Amino acid sequence: MSNDQRQAWFARMMESGLENDIFAPSDVLAHATPDVLASHLPPELLSKVLTASLAAGSMTPERVLETVTPELLSKHLPHEVLWQCIAAAAARAGVNKSVGS
Amino acid sequence: MHRGGRGPRGCQQIGGLVNLKGFFVATISSALELGIAVPDDVLRHVTPDVLSMFLPRPLWARVITACLGAPRTDAQVIVETVGVPNLCEHIPASILWACIAEIGQRSLGGVVMAPASAPGSRPVAASRPTPLATPPPPPATEPKPAAQPAALGPSIPAPGSDGDGDPSRTRVPPGQRFRPSTTGIGRLAASGNARRPQAQATPPAPPVSEAGAGRTDTIPRVKRGSSEADFDLETYVGGKDDWKNALAVEDEQLVDWAASDETVTGGDDAGRKR
Repeated sequence: MSNDQRQAWFARMMESGLENDIFAPSDVLAHATPDVLASHLPPELLSKVLTASLAAGSMTPERVLETVTPELLSKHLPHEVLWQCIAAAAARAGVNKSVGS
Repeated sequence: MHRGGRGPRGCQQIGGLVNLKGFFVATISSALELGIAVPDDVLRHVTPDVLSMFLPRPLWARVITACLGAPRTDAQVIVETVGVPNLCEHIPASILWACIAEIGQRSLGGVVMAPASAPGSRPVAASRPTPLATPPPPPATEPKPAAQPAALGPSIPAPGSDGDGDPSRTRVPPGQRFRPSTTGIGRLAASGNARRPQAQATPPAPPVSEAGAGRTDTIPRVKRGSSEADFDLETYVGGKDDWKNALAVEDEQLVDWAASDETVTGGDDAGRKR
């Protein structure tokens, strides 16, 4: 499995999770903390996030994810972080229980 | 407690407020398309027992029809026939999530999967171990003959060998290799056999005397060893008085003892002694 394929799959999962309300942007930033973002996002992307927030007057999780799209999240952030986000959402949804329970 | 702003029932109702099915469809479909997962990964969780419990009968009919028509029934056929949306529609979310979780853990764990093949190919075939057509041959235990020197000329069989030089071959007696022929003297000459022909020689008729002419059929035959060419020499002494006829001599064969110088004759005693 190449890194590109895994990256595309995580991007698709993040996108689908957001579209289907499996998790919200705030859930994403609960795992992709400012420290994580600052450590992994490239400078130009950090600059763009700050520029968009300044233009809008506030920095919200939704606005961050408008700039840092799922593709960029999957490209720059560790996939373990994204997976924790997905797994936590699944746990909240209760799908990680057995069939009989 | 984080509820994601989806109300008190929010996350407890699977597929209710949140579109879990849509998420599962997108996740599994993309994983299959990208080669992150193979249909076997799906069937490992969505087992036939699970399908039998949750898949509607019309979809089961479709699966059976497809499997009957396909040259090979595998996970690819089942997943393609049922379809990921139908799987996510009918299979419990916990099972689907277990499948996704395994794929994700494997993806993060760096487990090397089969490389994704060309688009349109069947990745299931790449992940399935291919059994060997034939098991590896056992180690040779037979003692190998000594290395033969390189033949510089035509191979000449060793004396006494069959000529092929293969010790593993069973030597077949010549008599069984060819049709036995009882005729043709050339066979005997060409065989090089030292044995003389075993033709049964007719023993010569015993000397027929006038007295024993009618008894030849009653002569007891002497059992001898199988000498090839010797004639059976038999001496027969017939009845009680026949020896006289057998020892009969002519008069010319008699020795004149009286005319012999070497013989001392004298008196009647000599004749008796002799």
